[in-house]
This record gives sequence, structure tokens and C-alpha cells, in this order.
Amino acid sequence: MIDHDTLVAFSKSYGLFYLMAMAITVVAYTFWPSNKERFEEAAKSIIDDEDTPCR
Amino acid sequence: MFGIHQKLERNAIGFVVAIIVVSSIGGFMEIAPLFTIDETVEEAPDMRVYTPLELAGRNIYIREGCYACHSQMIRTLRDEVERYGPYSLAVESKYDHPMLWGSKRTGPDLARIGGKYSDAWHVAHLINPRDVVPESIMPAYRWLAETPLKVNDLSDHLAAQRVVGVPYTDEMIANATADAYGQAMPDGPFAAGVTARYGEATNVRAFDGKPERVSEMDALVAYLQVLGRLTDAAHQQTASTEGAKP
Amino acid sequence: MISELTRGERRLALAVLTAVATFGLALAIAGRGDILAVHGGLIMASAVILMFFVIAGFYAPEPGEERLAQYYDTPTKAGVVLAMIWGVIGMGVGDWVAWLLVYPDMTFDAAWASFGRLRPVHTSGVIFGFGGNALIATSFHVLQRTSRARLPDQFSPWFVLVGYNLFCLIAASGYLLGITQSKEYAEPEWYADLWLVVVWVVYFSIYLRTLMRRQEPHIYVANWYYMAFILVVAILHIVNNLAVPISFGSAKSYSAFSGVQDAMTQWWYGHNAVAFFLTAGFLGMMYYYLPKRAGRPVFSYRMSILGFWGITFMYMWAGSHHLHYTALPQWVQTLGMTFSIMLIVPSWMAAANALLTLNGAWHKVRDDATLRFMMLAAVFYGLSTFEGSFMSIRAVNSLSHYTDWTVGHVHAGALGWVALITFGSIYAVVPWVWKRPAMYSNKLVEVHFWLSLAGTLVYVFAMWNSGIIQGLMWRTYNEGGTLAYSFIDSLVAMRPYYIARAIGGLLFVIGAVVGLYNVWMTIREASAERADAPDAPVVPALARSLQAGE
Repeated sequence: MIDHDTLVAFSKSYGLFYLMAMAITVVAYTFWPSNKERFEEAAKSIIDDEDTPCR
Repeated sequence: MFGIHQKLERNAIGFVVAIIVVSSIGGFMEIAPLFTIDETVEEAPDMRVYTPLELAGRNIYIREGCYACHSQMIRTLRDEVERYGPYSLAVESKYDHPMLWGSKRTGPDLARIGGKYSDAWHVAHLINPRDVVPESIMPAYRWLAETPLKVNDLSDHLAAQRVVGVPYTDEMIANATADAYGQAMPDGPFAAGVTARYGEATNVRAFDGKPERVSEMDALVAYLQVLGRLTDAAHQQTASTEGAKP
Repeated sequence: MISELTRGERRLALAVLTAVATFGLALAIAGRGDILAVHGGLIMASAVILMFFVIAGFYAPEPGEERLAQYYDTPTKAGVVLAMIWGVIGMGVGDWVAWLLVYPDMTFDAAWASFGRLRPVHTSGVIFGFGGNALIATSFHVLQRTSRARLPDQFSPWFVLVGYNLFCLIAASGYLLGITQSKEYAEPEWYADLWLVVVWVVYFSIYLRTLMRRQEPHIYVANWYYMAFILVVAILHIVNNLAVPISFGSAKSYSAFSGVQDAMTQWWYGHNAVAFFLTAGFLGMMYYYLPKRAGRPVFSYRMSILGFWGITFMYMWAGSHHLHYTALPQWVQTLGMTFSIMLIVPSWMAAANALLTLNGAWHKVRDDATLRFMMLAAVFYGLSTFEGSFMSIRAVNSLSHYTDWTVGHVHAGALGWVALITFGSIYAVVPWVWKRPAMYSNKLVEVHFWLSLAGTLVYVFAMWNSGIIQGLMWRTYNEGGTLAYSFIDSLVAMRPYYIARAIGGLLFVIGAVVGLYNVWMTIREASAERADAPDAPVVPALARSLQAGE
């Protein structure tokens, strides 16, 4: 049976690293220099799209 | 690494999986252990299940949306304990499918309402709350006293309750309808069966004051009168930690 | 609208409707003697009426291939109108129950008219009826534009929209009949829940199929939020509604969970219904219509990404702050509080992002009430997420919980954020899809704006006052060390605030009625124009020029 102590131990070890890894992944992805252009393009794309689908 | 994320993003399915994984963690970490950690729910050997009549009353409480204005969860705060009684324990709602802890007190908490007022008070209050509490803003439920309780499917109710984990016995399920009659007709032929199956302490009374029939009022009052009285654990707990709580 | 379906789709529609009608009939037969029969009949009747509709248009000429050169906006149009109608109903019932707390005898001795049965009609009506229809309608619109791809077919969007509204109808009528699971914001019973799962699967498949055919390499961030809304709501809905019906002939079921586990599951659901229904989906709306209307790209696309993952991850932990000082183990309460406080970061990222997008467009905000709706929504989003984090702190929660403060907080979010961003988006999308230069009356948009703002402020201030007074009265001790006030004392003290709240709500409802009228008149103008010039070429540029906000 899992009790409170095992849960705390798990959170403080694996959980901590997991959280940090996830946060770093997201932040790195967001600020990765080569992604910058894509993001800016995406932000602009909705402003000047045409009102018909691409075929 | 970022090639992977770009692919992930191009591929809508990968993105979907990422959302599911990231969002599932929180709920899983908080809910799953509640089922496995033994200390979550206290032991209470004297805890009994609802009788069929009380369960029917509980379903009326649910049907009328009483939970929208009345909580059934006394928090571990001094003023709540002094106003309503010993704070609620997890074990007290362990047979509540679903729980009715509530989220708003437009009216007072009802976790320990059982036995606090007489049956006659409850009946008068439900028929017109302003007759007994002039300032009350609760709706009147006059029709409950005139509506006969639907009892023919109570065995199905108990059987479904057993499927989700409430320990009703075969005998309880088989006699559900008779027990509903018995509990509200103290002088009738079925009354003895109720105390035999659910314990001597069970309230067997003509809750609505009319022993010749079983109304929805009978069921609802029977339910209200058992709230907080399925187990004595909360009173014992408070006695043993008296003064320790702020 | 049937003429827009291909012959094959019309056949499919008939087949599906036959299946639904049969299902309704089966429920009605199995549930004879139970209230379930009423819903069986309702489902069958709805399907049969729609069948007549399909049959009447069955032999209309098929749509040509040229349809594929256009976006498919008819479901969006229908969804917008449904959202506005549900909005008026849901908000109207809300104001009615607010008055019930002032005049409790206005129930006509009828079971269906009591507070407890009407209240879920209000909550489901505004959350699912108004919010849900607005989300479905705008998501179809945004999805097509950002993917530069038409919806995959003409039938499935209708299935989603009509099926979803059938769910709403079953839900609302069920509460009046006394059918409820009692789980807040998840009240509909097992058969309605199962039906919603079917609808939701099709909804999700539309999203995936359109995204797979998209012409833009990048999935625009608004779609991320819409997708999180669809996916996570599915998870929440399925888990929280696990239940065992007492028989297939009964509307009644018993939840699979009980007691403390049920409480945690319920508030994990409840709080994340706020997060993924009322936040993520509407952020999707905001991240599309606000930049579009302002004519400026979103201030920081990166911030929107960070915010997305923050919200997706952290919200799911926050539910337990609804259970402070209860029988829930304290470690769970603490986790919930911690994540709730951290949530301020992604939430304010979104709010700040919206407001900073308007930098350089403030003159438009001044002149254009539609954009002002969205701006104010972002402000209220920032305020209510701050308030939410604050109220999740245990010590604050000990005062605020169970009081009207919670109700005020919810409405700061629901009126100030959800409804305002929706009205703003609807005023942006209506002229666009009906190909009009503007709404029927910009003055009425302006009137609606001020009614909404006034109504929200009156409502929220009334509830702050009553909630804090209530919380304080409950915990006030007199010199003798006993409680100073009875519960009834606190109830009596609430009365003036309940009156104020009902008046604030009334202002808001009147605003919604004005909005519905304005939408309706815009549609009438559009159809009158089309009748005048049936062969006039459609000028999409007309709709576009308006998007710049001039």
C-alpha cells in the first residue's frame, strides 16, 4: 500500500526533476532562437489571411 | 530536441497526446492516492448504511437541489464546530454516492441536523419555512406531504449502491420496499424487520405524523433526522482532541 | 441548410436521425413508469422533427464543387444564434433565482419553480448553452481561417451542434423534472452524459481532420487552447460522471465515487470546468478575435505558448482549494493551494498579452465597443484570476468559503470575462460571416457594453459586501466568548445585497437581450439584401475591411 511517506519521497525526488525538466523544455522551446521567426510569422498570419481556404 | 517538438506540432496527434499527458498528471497525483492511502478515511466500526427510506429521502434532497444552499461539511474551524457540532470526518460520507458536502451556505450546514429538531418541526418547516422561521428565504415544499413515495424500485436502488461499494446484504436488498414501509409505519407488520436489519438505534416513526401511508415527506425527514448519526466517530474524535484544535 | 449537404450526407443524416429516434423510443419504452420516459420521448420527437426537415430538403439540388472554395460557416451562424438565445434564457433564469432569494414565495407552489431546481438551469444554461455554443461556433470559424482549410464535410459540424443542443435541452428540462446527479456543473444523468461523449468524439474528429488538411505549417495558438478545451473536458466529463444506473429503465444513477474521493473528483472536475471550458476555450477566442479586431498581431506569441503549457499543467492541481479545512487530507489541500497561487503567472501572461496587443490601437478601443468588450474581458480575466489565487489561500478561504464571496468571484469571471469576451467575439464574427459591413446598430453594441459593465460591477460589489459580512458574522465572538450572531442574523443582513445583486443581474440580462436583438436585425438585413440582389457577387473584401476596426 502506498502511504503518505512514500508519496512525499516520490514527489521530492522524481517529481521535482520531472517538473523542472518539463518547465525547462517549455521555456527552451519558446525562446529557442530558430523558432522566433516561425512564431512571429504565425502571429502575423491571422491578420492578413484571405477569406477563402487554400486549395 | 526541437526537431522533435516541431514534428510534434506538425503532427496534430502528437500534440494531442502531449496535452493529455501534461494535463492528466495533476488529477492523477491528487486523486489516485486517496484510494490507496489508508489514513484517508478513518475507521468507524459502528458506521451503518442508509435504510431504504433514508436513501429515498436523500434522493429527494438531491432532486430538489437542497445541496445548492446547504453544505454537509463542518470545517475544522472553532466557530463552525461551536455553531454546528464536531467537525466532519471523511468516514461519515463514505457511503455517500455522490457526496453532498456542498459549496455554499445560503442556509445553514446540515451535517449534524439529525435529532436537533423534532419531526413535527421539520414537517412544518418544509411545508412553509416562514411559519417556523419568519426570516427564512427557503422555498416551501408543500407537495412533499401529499406525494406518495415511490417505493417499488428501492431494491434496484440498493442493488446499484452495492455495485458501487456500499455493503448492503442480499436480505436488505430483497426487503427494501417492505423496510421503507416499516420505517414510516411503526405499528405496521414490517417495522420489526427494519431494526433487525439496520440496528436498534434506527428511527422507526411516522415522520410526517401520518402512520397510514408513506409520503415523500416521510422519506426526506427520515433522511434529515439521520444526518450526522450514522456513526459516533466524530463525537469521539472531538472528545479525544478537545482543545487541540484552534 | 439541407441544400448544403451532399446527397450522401443527407442519407447519412437520415440514418443517424433514425438511430437517434430509435434510441429515444427504446429509452421511452424501457423507462415507462419512470420519468426517463419523458426524455426518451423528447429525444425521439427531436429526431423525428429533424427528419421531416431533412426529407423536405432531400431532393433539393446538390451543392457544387465550388463550395470547396469557400469556408463552411453556416454551422457557425447557427451556433452564434443558439448561443445568444441560450444566453438570454440562462441569464434570465439566473436573475429570476436571484429574485427568489429576495422574494422566496414566488414559486407558485410548483416543484419545478423552486430555487434548487432552477439554479442548475441557470448554471447549465449559461455555461453549456451560452458558453458551449459560442465555443463550438467560434471554434469552427477560427479553425478554418487559421488552417486555411474548409471543414472536412458538411454533416459532422451539424451533428455536433444539434447533438450538443439536444444535450443542453435534456439537461435543462431534466432539472425542472427533478433529474439530477447533484454534482455541480455535471448534473445531467447517465444517458445524457453518454450522449455528450458521442457528440464530443465527433467534435474532436472534426478538429483533427481539419488540422490534418491544414495549409499552414504551424498550428495557430488559438487552436491549442480550443484543443485543450475539447480534450480535457472529455477527460473530466468521463471520469467525474462514472456512475451505475439503477436500471436501464431509470433516469437515476449512483456515482462510482463516494465521500472524500468523490469530493476530490468533483472539484477536480468543477475547477477544471472553469479552467478548460471557461478559460482555455475562451482564451482561444481571445487570441484570435482580439488581434484580428485590433488589426495587430498578438503582442508576444511566445508568452501565449508559455501561458498555454502553464495553464494546461497547473490548473489540474488546483481543484482541492475548494476543500480547505474539510475532511480531505491536508496534503492535498496544500498542493491545491500551491498550484492555485502559481496559476497567477500563466493567467496574467494571457491577460497582459491581450492588453499589450492593444498598445497602439487604443484609439480603436475608444471608438469600437466590440474591441472594448474584449479589452474589458481581459481586464476582468486578470482581476478574477488574481482574486481566485488569493481566495485559494487557506486563511482567506476560511473566511470566503461557503459565502457569497465565492458567488461574486465566479460572476466576476463568468460575466466579466466569459460573457464579455463572447459578446465581443460574436459582434466581431456576426458581420463577418453574414457578410455585412457592420452590426445592425453600433449604438446598440455601445448600449450593451455599458449595461454589461454596470451590471457586472453592481453584481460583484454586492457579492463582495455580502460575502465578507457573512463570513465575518459567522466567526464573530462576543465578550463572553460565545458566537455573536445566529445564522438567521447573517441571513437578514444579506437582504439588501441580494436585492442589489438581482438588479445588477437584471442590467446584464437586458444587455444580452439588446445583443440578441442586434444580432437578429443584422441577420435580417443580410437576408433582405440577398433577396434584393440574388445574383450579386459576394464581396469578401467588404467583411475584411471591417476587421481592421474602422
